[in-house]
Amino acid sequence: MTNAQPTPITTPPKGKPKLGGMARKEERSFYLFILPWIIGFLLFDAGAIIASFGISFTNWSALSAPSYVGTLNYSRLIADSVFYKAMGNSLYYGLGSVGLGTIVSFLLALLLNQNVWGMSLFRTIFYLPSVVSGIAVAILWIMILHQDFGLINSFLAWFGIKGPGWLVQPQWAMPSLILMSLWSAGGSMVIYLAGLQSVPTHLYEAAEIDGADTFQKFWTVTVPMMSPVILYNLIVGFIASIQGFVTVYVMTNGGPANATLVYGLYIYRTAFINFQMGYASALAWVLLVVIILITVVQFIVARYWVYYEGDLKS
Amino acid sequence: MGKHEEELARELQRRGMSRRDVLRIGLRMGLGAASMGLLLAACGQTASEPAKDAAADGEAAAEPASESIFDITAGDTGAWPKSAIAEPGDKIEISVGHTWDAVFFERQLQFDKLFMQRHPNITVKAENTPWGEYRQKYTAAAAGNAMPDILYTQFSWAQETIRSGLYIALDDYIAKEKDFNLGDFTKPSLVSYQYDGKLWGIPYDEGPGNLYYNKDLFDAAGEAYPDDSWDLEKLKAVAIKMTKGEGPDKIFGLGELPSPGDSLMAPNYLFPFGAQYLSEPKEDECLINKPEAVTAMEWWEELRAKGAVPSPADLQNVAWPAFQFGKIAMTLQGSWATPPIQAGSKFKWDIAKWPKGPKVHTTFSAGSAYMITRDSKNVDAAWLYMNEYLSTAGQTYMWASTGRGSPSRLSAWPAYLGSKFAPAGAKNVEEAMSQGIGTHDILDQPTGPRVTQAAGPIWDLVVAGQKSVKDALDEIFAAVDPIIAENRM
Repeated sequence: MTNAQPTPITTPPKGKPKLGGMARKEERSFYLFILPWIIGFLLFDAGAIIASFGISFTNWSALSAPSYVGTLNYSRLIADSVFYKAMGNSLYYGLGSVGLGTIVSFLLALLLNQNVWGMSLFRTIFYLPSVVSGIAVAILWIMILHQDFGLINSFLAWFGIKGPGWLVQPQWAMPSLILMSLWSAGGSMVIYLAGLQSVPTHLYEAAEIDGADTFQKFWTVTVPMMSPVILYNLIVGFIASIQGFVTVYVMTNGGPANATLVYGLYIYRTAFINFQMGYASALAWVLLVVIILITVVQFIVARYWVYYEGDLKS
Repeated sequence: MGKHEEELARELQRRGMSRRDVLRIGLRMGLGAASMGLLLAACGQTASEPAKDAAADGEAAAEPASESIFDITAGDTGAWPKSAIAEPGDKIEISVGHTWDAVFFERQLQFDKLFMQRHPNITVKAENTPWGEYRQKYTAAAAGNAMPDILYTQFSWAQETIRSGLYIALDDYIAKEKDFNLGDFTKPSLVSYQYDGKLWGIPYDEGPGNLYYNKDLFDAAGEAYPDDSWDLEKLKAVAIKMTKGEGPDKIFGLGELPSPGDSLMAPNYLFPFGAQYLSEPKEDECLINKPEAVTAMEWWEELRAKGAVPSPADLQNVAWPAFQFGKIAMTLQGSWATPPIQAGSKFKWDIAKWPKGPKVHTTFSAGSAYMITRDSKNVDAAWLYMNEYLSTAGQTYMWASTGRGSPSRLSAWPAYLGSKFAPAGAKNVEEAMSQGIGTHDILDQPTGPRVTQAAGPIWDLVVAGQKSVKDALDEIFAAVDPIIAENRM
């Protein structure tokens, strides 16, 4: 037996690994690029967001001094039937528009990813509606959805179908808005298109060698490779749609019978028509919590269906 | 002569415009000399006459063409009140928040220009905000203590904002002015702006709901025009009789029906039958589901069942007021609907009084005011402006001579009745006010918007044929009663 000294155990350095020169430069560039957003956020948004949290504990009309009411505004929500109606409408709109939008924009991206003549023109045409402003789109769709003279009902009439009063019947108003949301599918379509073009072709070649047909290539190569992009569009699209306001305000103003009273419109009415800023702030914070919860759920569920190339699975 | 020039000339003649008006409109439209000649020839002028006119009119020739359809000097009586308040010694600026349509804002700028000529040390900065954004903008301004010196305020939110301390009371200023006679204001016009024994704003208009009717449609149907002998039974019978056709060519007898989502509903549709919406003036009791109210609302709904009023789908994408498009025989509108109807209609039309009911003869009366805000840095100068703007001369200049109508001062009514822009039946507007037909018993308590927001969606189901009148009114009672409970305190 020898009295050999024990071999010293080298422990990995704690904390952040030291960056090389190029990495440091890249890090500086990162902060420089996000600096304008951070400055804008701090100057214009952060103060208002923090203030709204404080306001949510007050009775404040915005016209005179606020008075502290504790959690009264939050407990009032529980008994407010319009709150549930507006939240339900927003979730309905969010699920409907994001679900339908994801399918349509993904299918459009697949079509526009073909190598055929004039593809740039087609891509431009399908993206073009996304650059038209919200109000103009709303006015256009009021005409498209008109019960008597609208494009859709005129089309249905060719087949002997009497179309409904899309925006004037309570049961059809929200489906109409969801249908209309497809107008801006071009935005997410472009993202899908970029994702599709980054799928390595050797994966398709390998699948072909293994005897995969078109659908199998789509299901086993395209969908997994695109899953991070799909997740991104689902999260961003849902957050945007649950906060929807402009088109609803212009097209239906929440009617008929509150069928399209979305949450953003309810907050607006509470704040600027009823002069109840405290309650409106509480409504806004509840919406934030709901959005965070839904986003967290989306991330948790994503573990089971989103594939990151190069990701290490435990 | 070009077809367009002919059409334009007919339209301008119909509106009773002068040669100068025609010339200015032509210039504004960028018409060339040839077109201008044709246009003026169509108006019974020779091409050389307007040129002479323009040359003789040094001011008009030297200045760029005005954007206004109104002559800047027309309606200026020169009888501006002498104020007890001293002129500012130094140059100062006051700001005024308006929410005019584009056409009428040009008239506003004309008034401000003349005011600044009379008060060289005061610069007026007019802020014009679209109706849909107005409350949002100035609520935020109030929260930031950054309101303009003077602010437009509608009856529907006046009490809420007065009670919140947004404005200064005007009684002390009024007491100092020898010329300022509060008795000159129509009684209903002041109601929404009084609180705690003080007056917080000065109304510029207060007008009744009038029955506008399409004379061409009446002539085609062989019906006599509405007059003072009409009652609501007659209105209903004629509305049903005049309804005809299908699709885009359908003619509707009446433009609208009552909705509890409308704060102006009760005087026209319920009071005539002895019913009420809320108890007036405190609005602390909901009476909408009483048997007489149910009967009245069911009586009106028969017009919907007969297809005599446009459906919500018929009114989609139609600018207000829908009457201007010529498919509606009769409609209930305030006199403020006159300018868009004048501008948009291609048919003959006039105004009658809203018909009497079996119990009483009433119609809504509503209006708006201007207030000096608590944030004003130049209160005296703001008062000098208000004193002139809302004087008899000011109301004549702004609302009477332009035909917009319903000035809050009785002394400005003759100028309205004599205005070439006012409809022939304008006397009915004046009589509705002077004979006590117009009533301000409308929802103007701070609870008003919440009441109509709660009631409107329930009534939508009646409109959609998915709920009975009785059930809907019971539901509305249940929804409204807790809201107006605060008015009982």
